[in-house]
Amino acid sequence: MKTLFSRRNVLMSAAGVVVVGGVAFEASRVLRKRYAPSPYDDLLAKLDDRDGSAQIGEAVLAEIDDFDAKTAAAQLRTKLQQASLADIATADAAAERLVEAHGWVLPQTLGLLCALAAKAAA
Amino acid sequence: MSAFIDARTVPDGTVLEPDLAIVGGGPAGISIALALANTPLRVVLLESGDMSFDPATQALYSGNKTGVKYLGLEASRMRFLGGSTNIWGGWSRPMDKIDFEERSWMPHSGWPFGLEALQPHYARAQTLCEAGPWLYEQAEHWSQSEMPTVPLGAGGVATRWFQFSKMRGSLLPTHFGERYADDLKKVRNLTTYLHANVTRLGLAFNGGQIERLDVATLSGRHFALKPKAVILAAGAVEIARLLLASNDVAPAGVGNANDVVGRYFADHPIPRDIGTLILFDGKLAPYYLNTQTTHGAILRAGLFPSEGYRRSKAMLDSSITIESKTLLDALGKTTVATTAAALGVDAGKATAFTLGGGCEVTPDPDCRITLDSARDALGMPRVKLQMKLSDSDLAHFRATLKELGRQLLAARAGMIRLNMKERGQWLTGLDWGNHHMGTARAHVDPKKGVVDANLQVHGVANLFVAGSAVYPTYGAVNPTLSIVAMALRLADHVKGLLK
Repeated sequence: MKTLFSRRNVLMSAAGVVVVGGVAFEASRVLRKRYAPSPYDDLLAKLDDRDGSAQIGEAVLAEIDDFDAKTAAAQLRTKLQQASLADIATADAAAERLVEAHGWVLPQTLGLLCALAAKAAA
Repeated sequence: MSAFIDARTVPDGTVLEPDLAIVGGGPAGISIALALANTPLRVVLLESGDMSFDPATQALYSGNKTGVKYLGLEASRMRFLGGSTNIWGGWSRPMDKIDFEERSWMPHSGWPFGLEALQPHYARAQTLCEAGPWLYEQAEHWSQSEMPTVPLGAGGVATRWFQFSKMRGSLLPTHFGERYADDLKKVRNLTTYLHANVTRLGLAFNGGQIERLDVATLSGRHFALKPKAVILAAGAVEIARLLLASNDVAPAGVGNANDVVGRYFADHPIPRDIGTLILFDGKLAPYYLNTQTTHGAILRAGLFPSEGYRRSKAMLDSSITIESKTLLDALGKTTVATTAAALGVDAGKATAFTLGGGCEVTPDPDCRITLDSARDALGMPRVKLQMKLSDSDLAHFRATLKELGRQLLAARAGMIRLNMKERGQWLTGLDWGNHHMGTARAHVDPKKGVVDANLQVHGVANLFVAGSAVYPTYGAVNPTLSIVAMALRLADHVKGLLK
């Protein structure tokens, strides 16, 4: 009686998995939304949803006069080299560093990242 | 046991001479009458209405109003035995120590007595309001064992508790007239007159005391009382009207030598859908959304600014309630997902809730009751209300909501959207608590208040005011429990005075 787990079948299955995986990986790479390069891409990589963040950022920018993207980016880089976004955002809330976006109360660091996403998308 | 007397059957020209006349059969008047039961004092309780609603009697309340949109003066109170407890919601909570203090950030603040003056009377007031055993913040221990309170980072807002009045069975809350009618009838030293409208406080010629009350009925009867002392317990609007309209001896009205009567009128603004609260894990204890019965009490949790926060941030009081689940728009969903991801928490079960609540207002002398030229069916001048609401007070409420949002973020538990910013947003759909306060405020200085620390009208030896008319500041909690506690304190004082 022939077994399903013959050497030939196992090798073919493994090859199949590799091929399907490779195609899926390449497809996601090709199909992934591409953004024009911006000076803040290293920072924006911290955000799960760059388009959504840009929408939030538009609302943040409406609340901040004279937003200086370069200065904000520099400050954010320094901060994010020292701790995770989660820890910094939590510390922002604890220290009353907040911004508003359409009434949503956000940790300042997140708000500024979103503002940079909006600038990058502009 | 003495039945109530229908004032329409009292012969014209009758003069009654009790020790004490209580004008108004609402929670304050009824509480005082019960507190003075079985004392040597002969007490008369005068109630304008009957045992139930009557349109003609209720129409005596109508008046004009200008300024910020406000409820009709007829609709926001009830003119029959039990007064406005006939329409209250039963929400009960004592005032805080800070409510009585002079606060640098609040003009005209400072009571002539502190919380300690009311504390001995709150337990009895709680019983009269039938609000169950005194739990309030002790409910926190129970809640933690069942289902935890909303997790909040360190800060100014905390979960605190309302208790609810319950008359019997499923009847909620206690209507003082219906509930205590039989008790009042059993008081041997009390006579209660229904359909009895006081139309004039007769000052002695020297202005130093009340020597006569004129009473009229809608059927045209007139009689009088010559009591040793009088307690006005008719609600903040009617008390101002009576004091101002009784101007035959003192042209500005009784107790109004310094033009304070009728001023500083206030109510608690109740704006709707003031914010959206998100809990990332979607878990909210049911006692935030609805009343829960436990340990013999009906409870509901709210979110309140702490006394420490109010002091350190120079904030007004407020109360925030979580009202119902709601849905988010696309930007809201994105904002919640993005924020949760940034905080490193899962928002897969995030749930949104609408927020409601009420807030304290700053005493304003120009928010006031005056007399109109129009007259009611008894010939009394009708009232005019100039209603105001300051942007600054609303900004305080918004700042406290923002503090709640900050604490949710700090706990990585949730977040908040502030739905109100511009004045027009606040005023759209604005409701009011129907908590009429001020108009005969308490203050040690006669130039700043109508009554003193004993709630005696300055300069009028035998005239007292009960109820929230005497509030110099207003806090943010529903006033009935404190009205009753203050009424019981006043009853003790008058008992000592007249014995």
